[in-house]
Amino acid sequence: MTEEKVTTNTSSKVLALSNSIKEGLTVGEKYVALLNQLASTEQSSDLLDAMKQLDAIDLTNAFVKFPQHYETADYYLLFMYRLLQLNQVEGVSLHENEDHSLALQLANFGDKITFKFELDDKQGGAFFTEQENHEPLFYLNLEKTALRFSNRALVNFFIVREIDHYSDLDLAAAIKPLISFAHILKDQLKFQIDLGILETANDFLARLSQPELDLQVIDKLFVETADSDYRLLNLPHNNGASLQLDREVHIELGFDPDDYSRQWAFRVVDNDEEVSFFDVLLHYKMIRDWYLDNREALAVRSDPLIFAE
Amino acid sequence: MASEEKRHGALEISESINQQIAKKIDYLQQLMAALKDHDDRQIYRLLDNQRYAAEIEHREQQGNDSSVMNLVDNLADQLSSYLSSKLIKYLGKAYPFFYYEEYQTGHYRIYFGNWWDRRQFGELDVLNIRFVFDQKEYKKLQDSFELASHGKRYNSKRIEDLSSANDHLQALIDSTEERSQKRAQLQSELKDASNRGGLFESAKNRETREDIKDQISQLEDQDEEARNAAVNIRKNNQAVLELSKENTILSYEQKSITDVFGSFEDFALANRNLYANYLKSLEKGNSDNQHAKNDDEKQVSDHD
Repeated sequence: MTEEKVTTNTSSKVLALSNSIKEGLTVGEKYVALLNQLASTEQSSDLLDAMKQLDAIDLTNAFVKFPQHYETADYYLLFMYRLLQLNQVEGVSLHENEDHSLALQLANFGDKITFKFELDDKQGGAFFTEQENHEPLFYLNLEKTALRFSNRALVNFFIVREIDHYSDLDLAAAIKPLISFAHILKDQLKFQIDLGILETANDFLARLSQPELDLQVIDKLFVETADSDYRLLNLPHNNGASLQLDREVHIELGFDPDDYSRQWAFRVVDNDEEVSFFDVLLHYKMIRDWYLDNREALAVRSDPLIFAE
Repeated sequence: MASEEKRHGALEISESINQQIAKKIDYLQQLMAALKDHDDRQIYRLLDNQRYAAEIEHREQQGNDSSVMNLVDNLADQLSSYLSSKLIKYLGKAYPFFYYEEYQTGHYRIYFGNWWDRRQFGELDVLNIRFVFDQKEYKKLQDSFELASHGKRYNSKRIEDLSSANDHLQALIDSTEERSQKRAQLQSELKDASNRGGLFESAKNRETREDIKDQISQLEDQDEEARNAAVNIRKNNQAVLELSKENTILSYEQKSITDVFGSFEDFALANRNLYANYLKSLEKGNSDNQHAKNDDEKQVSDHD
């Protein structure tokens, strides 16, 4: 081995190293730029753009080590928080834990309950998840520009669990920012959203997951109304039952008489299309108790593609 | 009399026939005109003049002329269907909780309510403007009003009985383990007693053995009952649901009647006066018709 050869060899190695470092630094620069964009842009579309790239960026480099400060799940939370901020939606706050992970809190819950995104390694995207029982309230997929609420998780978390700790009005206020988030995604970023039982349109049908319904389940509600001012009425074609809850609000449980499959579904009808099935479960104890007592029969379907029931 | 008739001769007979026919024609023409004008009150008068005179005009001695009235006997169903449209419209306001189904021309079933589990409550007799309630269902409603005045429900007693039967059955299920321990103990006692048996067994020992056997057999009966208890509890729950449903229906019906009439007695009274009240309402509705001219008639119609 001559001296010269060694030098050449060494120089090429150094060059390779410097190239690798340069690559790493380029990624790093991009990373920094994306972080800045996520933290400071005033544009919803730029926010989404930064978030998508951060979701995809690969920071592993043999020669340049980046401090693992935040993780992708944290950026999801930051993305959500900033999007709500940009649109002046109140009722949410972001907190950093000692391990630097971020957590979201809803104002009406105080700091007792926290939420995080949990990444879905199989299908991509992330679940917005309450951190005590890990109920995934909704699923967000940025690539597919889709958001879908889980009916099951909504009922488990709000209607079964927290109804004992908070008033119905507090719970209704707590979930509001989440609904706003979905609407902003739809209106500004062209997301497909599925609000599930949070949908307030009158023609929305909250379909039951069971293919058939034992009419005795409705009998039980009928019996419950005996001591109340409510009257459970027959639908005009004997295709289900209807209950007037308030002057302007009624709920139906029925099927389309022209539909051979007789798919049963809940439907909430109000003049201003402001009341969802979720609201009914929240505000009307009689319906809530009946629904929970007969949940196996009455459970509303969640989209099985993303939420296994 | 017979000899007198003979003397009148053929001329008078044909005169009499002419009169009879003229009367029939007159009746039918009146009816036709009333039908054309949809003057239901006049139709009702023609169909039962006696009742109309008594209840609307308060003239008691007005008989029905069967020679003209039976002319339309075979039109009863069609007339009933024709007259139902106004009557049911009126009843829709006066008895908002009744619903009608024309199951064949001119025949109407009454349903009480449009609620989840309503009952058929009898029929509507349109030609006589009256409800023909199913007596069994009517009695139930009457009784439930009576019970409600004592703070009770129609099926409460039976529901209570079934509930306490279920409590008993549940207790049997819950005590299964306890019984099996007791039985093991009794069996061992029986074994001891049997060992003291034999040819010279004392009367007292025999008594003890019989007593233990009785106790064991009692436990076995209870075990048997406990084995079927789950099924029977389900059956009882089913029966409770049915009875509760009937209670609910009756409470809806009571509320409906109270909302509209104030009390069951006032409801029954309104039913008795339905004929007069309905025809009176037609008079008001037809105030610009030919029947408004008679002031006396208006006075007569004043009720209460």
